[in-house]
Amino acid sequence: MSFMDSLAAGLSLVGNVEAFLALFVGLIIGVIGGAIPGMSATMAVALTLPFTFAMQPITGILLLLGVYKGGIFGGSIPAILIKTPGTPASSATILDGYPMAEKGEAGRALGMALWASCTADLVSNLSLILFAGWLASFALKFGPPEFFTLILFSLTIIAGVSGESLLRGALSALLGLLLATVGLDLVYGTNRFTFGDPSLMGGLNFIAVLIGLFAIPEVLAMAWHPTGHLGKARSLGARHVTFADYRRSFRSIIRGSLIGVFLGSIPGIGAAPSAFLSYSEARRRSKNKENFGKGEVEGVAAAEAGNNGVAGATLIPLLALGVPGDVITAIIIGAFMIHGLQPGPMMFILNVDIIYGLFIGLIVSSVFLLAIGSVAIRGFRYVADIPRRILIPAVLVLCIFGVFAVNNNVFDVGVMFAMGWVGYIMMRLHIPPAPFLIAFILGPLLEDNFRQAMLMSASDPSILIRGPITWFFWAATALSIFAIVRREMKGQGVAQAA
Amino acid sequence: MTLSAMQRGLGIGAVLVAALLILWAIPTFVSTPSNVGNVILSPLFWPYSIAGLTGLVGLGLVASTFRADGPDDSLPANEPIDDPIPGLIRLAGIAVIMVLTMVLIDRIGMVWASMLAFAATAFLVRTRHPRLALVSAVAVPLVLYVFFAHVAGVAVPQGELVRLP
Repeated sequence: MSFMDSLAAGLSLVGNVEAFLALFVGLIIGVIGGAIPGMSATMAVALTLPFTFAMQPITGILLLLGVYKGGIFGGSIPAILIKTPGTPASSATILDGYPMAEKGEAGRALGMALWASCTADLVSNLSLILFAGWLASFALKFGPPEFFTLILFSLTIIAGVSGESLLRGALSALLGLLLATVGLDLVYGTNRFTFGDPSLMGGLNFIAVLIGLFAIPEVLAMAWHPTGHLGKARSLGARHVTFADYRRSFRSIIRGSLIGVFLGSIPGIGAAPSAFLSYSEARRRSKNKENFGKGEVEGVAAAEAGNNGVAGATLIPLLALGVPGDVITAIIIGAFMIHGLQPGPMMFILNVDIIYGLFIGLIVSSVFLLAIGSVAIRGFRYVADIPRRILIPAVLVLCIFGVFAVNNNVFDVGVMFAMGWVGYIMMRLHIPPAPFLIAFILGPLLEDNFRQAMLMSASDPSILIRGPITWFFWAATALSIFAIVRREMKGQGVAQAA
Repeated sequence: MTLSAMQRGLGIGAVLVAALLILWAIPTFVSTPSNVGNVILSPLFWPYSIAGLTGLVGLGLVASTFRADGPDDSLPANEPIDDPIPGLIRLAGIAVIMVLTMVLIDRIGMVWASMLAFAATAFLVRTRHPRLALVSAVAVPLVLYVFFAHVAGVAVPQGELVRLP
């Protein structure tokens, strides 16, 4: 099928009001979800997921992508106004956004955040369209040994989402791997940790685990400290962003977008490191570097370009290899699975209409985001007014309905509650949940491909180094481990010097 | 509890869990066919590997607390709250709400159970908007019921008492 044929197939799939409406509504949900501190884009995507079950695959996935993209931008609103990032990716936006708000320039900072986000989003989406197909055609040459080494490499990058402690991140990942072993054995079909309960034979429901891990701990945290969220929002101020501001920051926006595309296409790194790298590069190269940290509009532009540049690029490994680029795309995989779609190279052959439909939807999402973001900046004061102690019980009820709807099974609701307590204990013990979820998804793939490779080679381990692709991933894994060890040692050096 | 003490406890806990898995849980709850020729292909291989690594990470966590650059021993692991005992009671209350919700879904249906769960949770976290909480407790589950039952085609449990259309 030629490029034009694929494009036409995609257009025929999304060329209806329903698909674009889903994208539009998704962006609104995302912006609101991202703008409510403690809600986060991840939670917004997780809570929206059950609503996609009854939709056409393309419509449901566009809804989730809208939530994802809206959520990443929405996180910048509380970061600038109340110094609380709505999503971890917006942490870097605080550095200059909040000082601007303190100077009465919140409207200007938010305007720049929106323009930078939309520009970066467009760059990221174009990169996805350019590179995903190429990577997928390359990935068709992959067999079990190649996939095993790829997934092993993806697991090492969990270090990037481990937060303050690599060891606690590793522990989280191991818990995820352990939980993924529950169910029937992949090769022999024997029981593993099923305790004789037929409900456990298919393994733990992915949606129940992820909603339990990300949404329910917020309910429990609210029960522990009901007034912990109280804070004050700031006014937007009279000054607004100008085209001159945008032009002056354009170089930093493009640089940040490209940093986001590069880091986003590597599974596991996520938006926060990209935002900080983009910010530090902008600061290093700016003529106004002394203003950074004191309310420099270029700093806001760089941080937002860095985190939004990731949003399209994280879909490159998801669509081309079937490997989630970050936690949110790990959740979006759930939507693909629910609709019987398996992201990966074969999808570019079997479901090319969906792939191109998504590409078209993503390009349109950048335009929608500009429109919705402009309104959201003015409307945030109303969103912030939703009492959190009403919002949280609503989240609980939404979780109950959403998780039940996956399999029409009350057992899954119980799994969600249990995982909620696990997630809350992890939160209290500073164990990051992201490695858990990524390992829970990748664990069965890793084991399955490893055992298939061993079956293919009659247990000869040399099959795992059978060609250039496996060599590449082994080398990438080694480099990744080297970088992690180096970073840890550097961290130790800094701590000892202090 | 300081961050350092928490990390040490976490490490010891991980080692204990690993030992429990290796010595009891895996041999008891993971079945394997007797004719598996190679240990690598056994259903036991993966759980044992994960348990072993968990033990190693646990030891690493304990060891990290004795290093000079380990977690800060002066800082509390979590921000303390003014009312820790009532906080624990509220957490226990949420646990009770969850258990009761599970029980009541089968008895009175998901919509009514969710209404009760909403109201109970809102009052447990001491909402300052009790009327809005009550209205939302009725409205939110009803809206969700309409969507899931009539749009998504989900067979939402109805229970025996009052059945919704």
